[in-house]
Amino acid sequence: MLANVNLEINLGGLVMKNPVTVASGTFGYGEDYDKYFDISRLGALTTKSLTLKPRAGNKPPRLVETPAGMLNAIGLQNVGLDEYLAKKLPFLREKGVPIIANIYGYSPEEYAELAARLENAGAADAIEANLSCPNVHDARIARGAAFVAQDADKVALYTRTIRSATRLPLFVKLTPNVMNICEPALAAEQAGANAISLINTLLGMAIDPETRQPRLANIVGGLSGPAIRPVALKMVWDAARVLKVPVIGMGGICEAADAIQFFLAGATAVAVGSMSFRQPDAAARVIDGIEAYMKRHNVENIAGLVKGMRI
Amino acid sequence: MPTVSECAILAHHQVAPGHLRLAVQCPKIARDARPGQFAMIQVSDSLYPFLRRPMSFERIFEDGVTFLYKVEGEGTRLLARLTPAQTVSVQGPLGNGWPLECGFKRHILVAGGIGVAPFPALAEKIKQVCGKMPEVVLGARSRDYLLCENDFRRMGCTVYVATDDGTAGKKASATQVLAELAPGPGTRLYACGPMAMMAATSLIAEQLGIDCQVSLEAQMACGTGACLGCVVEARRELEGEKMVRVCADGPVFNAATIDWDRHRVDYDR
Ligand SMILES: Cc1cc2nc3c(=O)[nH]c(=O)nc-3n(C[C@H](O)[C@H](O)[C@H](O)COP(=O)(O)OP(=O)(O)OC[C@H]3O[C@@H](n4cnc5c(N)ncnc54)[C@H](O)[C@@H]3O)c2cc1C
Ligand SMILES: Cc1cc2nc3c(=O)[nH]c(=O)nc-3n(C[C@H](O)[C@H](O)[C@H](O)COP(=O)(O)O)c2cc1C
Ligand code: FES
Repeated sequence: MLANVNLEINLGGLVMKNPVTVASGTFGYGEDYDKYFDISRLGALTTKSLTLKPRAGNKPPRLVETPAGMLNAIGLQNVGLDEYLAKKLPFLREKGVPIIANIYGYSPEEYAELAARLENAGAADAIEANLSCPNVHDARIARGAAFVAQDADKVALYTRTIRSATRLPLFVKLTPNVMNICEPALAAEQAGANAISLINTLLGMAIDPETRQPRLANIVGGLSGPAIRPVALKMVWDAARVLKVPVIGMGGICEAADAIQFFLAGATAVAVGSMSFRQPDAAARVIDGIEAYMKRHNVENIAGLVKGMRI
Repeated sequence: MPTVSECAILAHHQVAPGHLRLAVQCPKIARDARPGQFAMIQVSDSLYPFLRRPMSFERIFEDGVTFLYKVEGEGTRLLARLTPAQTVSVQGPLGNGWPLECGFKRHILVAGGIGVAPFPALAEKIKQVCGKMPEVVLGARSRDYLLCENDFRRMGCTVYVATDDGTAGKKASATQVLAELAPGPGTRLYACGPMAMMAATSLIAEQLGIDCQVSLEAQMACGTGACLGCVVEARRELEGEKMVRVCADGPVFNAATIDWDRHRVDYDR
């Protein structure tokens, strides 16, 4: 039993006092959850995806619960960059929590502009480029719409363009809806990403058998929660074996024991997502639980856990 | 400030077929709670069902609250199994409650089915703060499903009953009975029930040019405003933002701000 352990990590240039952030879109811009725990306890806070202009998002219903998880089709509703800078940033800076600004654009240039403007405004400590949002295409028009992150060449192009626009640590968030996660992950790394975020939601749908209507107005949505944890863990393991840059693991993390699994599979940091909906202070509990685990297992620092699966 | 509290269950009874009243001890939540606000209740210790269930405060006491709910599906079925020996995790109070303004001449509460749940606390508050007795229109499927009728009468409210099958009160819809009450200038309506019934009530209010407040429902994940999952469409000409969050901007809205077109089905036919 150790008396002191060190939870600090360096995530592709972003120094975090502990390896826990929150998953984009599950924590807003922090204000809502600061009522339940001091959000400056987080290693970093990841914002909802920001776009250049505000977006109203998809029509409701946008949520449906599924076994041990949920489907969402929010459609990137967000306040837009200007309002983020004016209304959301001051609170986060006052809290002093490192900010991972998650961005979404409609072209490589839009991502680059977002990243540059965030850096110039001192409004982010790292950029997470969401190349994998499943909810911005109307499923009735764009059947099986492709994400940027499903095409390794596009991932390389987008990453390179954003890379050239900012010196901030750049994380690239990928979709699990691919045959081989290593291809887009390596493409992002080679194009200059400092870390890879895995995973975004898995595509799914649900139908009401009584009315025969889709449960989501968008028909298709993204599956999250404990239901996807084994899939996420496997993808983190796959990617971490081929990457040199660190991986941020997410997908159904509910408690410290889940986070530990992601470290053992190869993640350097973790993000708590949908679990915050059920337990608003879930991320704080995960931090405490990781610390307790490390003491109990005589692990001095996070590096002592990463890729630590015994085979 | 909302909190998450592990609450002792004080009582848990069936009040009508498939409808239960749950009383919990939660001093922190009760102290801050206002009529029309709601809580997110964790229905299971396991991760399925994963999400909490939103429930309105039926009544608010000094150190506890009651909920009145209908067994709908898996979550409420599990909730219904809890006994007074157990505890339940309650997150709240959440959302904005009913607006309280004593200037109105008449306060008419219009409830459809389980939509009555947020009204006992409101009626009590209007009585206490404004010294005025609200009128209550209770709509139900049949006599067996009439909820809270005696509670309202005991408070001193005038209660008008409408049932689908005529086994109690008038054989009519709640909105038909409301129209017969001839709400005039200086009346505020408060409505909660099925979407179509609230849409019909808002139409009556619009035609008469009177104030109408509605408590909306939506699927919720976070209940605190972060996930943007619970939105409804606001009238474009009124709201800068097209989508409003039921949990954080509501659940009570001025009916005039909501885009009812999607919900105006032939409720009164
Ligand atoms: C602000 C608010 C206050 C509410 N207050 C009450 C109340 O006082 N009494 C009461 O009986 N009911 C109330 N409801 C509705 C209640 O939350 C649902 O009936 C309940 O969540 C159903 O869960 P279930 O697992 O039994 O049903 P299922 O059908 O199995 O639920 C599946 C999913 O759908 C959601 N869902 C189902 N029906 C509704 C609904 N009508 N509204 C929102 N989400 C729904 C559930 O939360 C769950 O995520 C309220 C809803 C809201 C939004
Ligand atoms: C309601 C909701 C909204 C989300 N919005 C975003 C988003 O805006 N940008 C993004 O990159 N990921 C978004 N995600 C995906 C999460 O960040 C995360 O990758 C995914 O939910 C898996 O983690 P979880 O199972 O712990 O929730 C969203 C997820 C949910 C549930
Ligand atoms: S339920 Fe998450 S914003 Fe309303």
